[in-house]
Amino acid sequence: MRLLKTGRWITVVGLSLLAAVYVRALAFTPVERTQGVAQKIFYLHVPAAIWTETGMILVGVASIFYLFLKDPRLDRFAEASAEVGMLFGTIVLTTGPIWGKPIWGTWWTWDARLTLTLLLFLMYVGYLLLRGAVTEPGLRARYAAVLGISGMCLVPFVHLSVYMFRTLHPQPIVLKPSAPSLPGAMLATLAFSFLVFTVLYVGFVTQRYALTLLREQTEPHA
Amino acid sequence: MPENTPYMVTAYIITAAILIGYAVFLYRRTLKP
Repeated sequence: MRLLKTGRWITVVGLSLLAAVYVRALAFTPVERTQGVAQKIFYLHVPAAIWTETGMILVGVASIFYLFLKDPRLDRFAEASAEVGMLFGTIVLTTGPIWGKPIWGTWWTWDARLTLTLLLFLMYVGYLLLRGAVTEPGLRARYAAVLGISGMCLVPFVHLSVYMFRTLHPQPIVLKPSAPSLPGAMLATLAFSFLVFTVLYVGFVTQRYALTLLREQTEPHA
Repeated sequence: MPENTPYMVTAYIITAAILIGYAVFLYRRTLKP
């Protein structure tokens, strides 16, 4: 299948570029003065977090359109985006505490940003569990769409939680109304990493979409 | 701050493992859908 091969190639390119991100972040990006090398976790944590949030927004948008148009392509895309979004959420929830321990002195704290990110991750888990629990395709797509839209509504609260509540989590330093407060070399590494995570998201979603399509062809009532 | 290095190395290894692991998992799943 052509779509599957395309997805595989995009993923291979993404993983190769990820190696380049590692080299650039570790060898060619300056060490931050107060946090030391632990700050370099930021180059993986932030792009993963952006795609965890964007992945759920795309699930929600596809779900809204699905409810109006009943186009199965939208449902397939929502499912693929949810699985990949959950994967990036796993990266966020593992790299975050690993950074938090040396910088905050604790792995986890129940502050607004962390708790809401965990809730977003659990929305992804719930979404995928719901899809696994309903066997009738039309019903599954409709129920999942409602949950996907609910998940999308959570994203602004996750992103703005650092402004709305007093949190331990740092304020946004790139995705904010004013200019990014990062030196050029660090910003370039972050932008490169974000680009690579975008390539990986596209590659994974394309493959996951193709997998659903293959399953539908082999088991027409799946 | 050399004492931070193990944290950074762990985070980088875990991220690579998750991404490569999922790529392999997807590849194997698409071989036998």
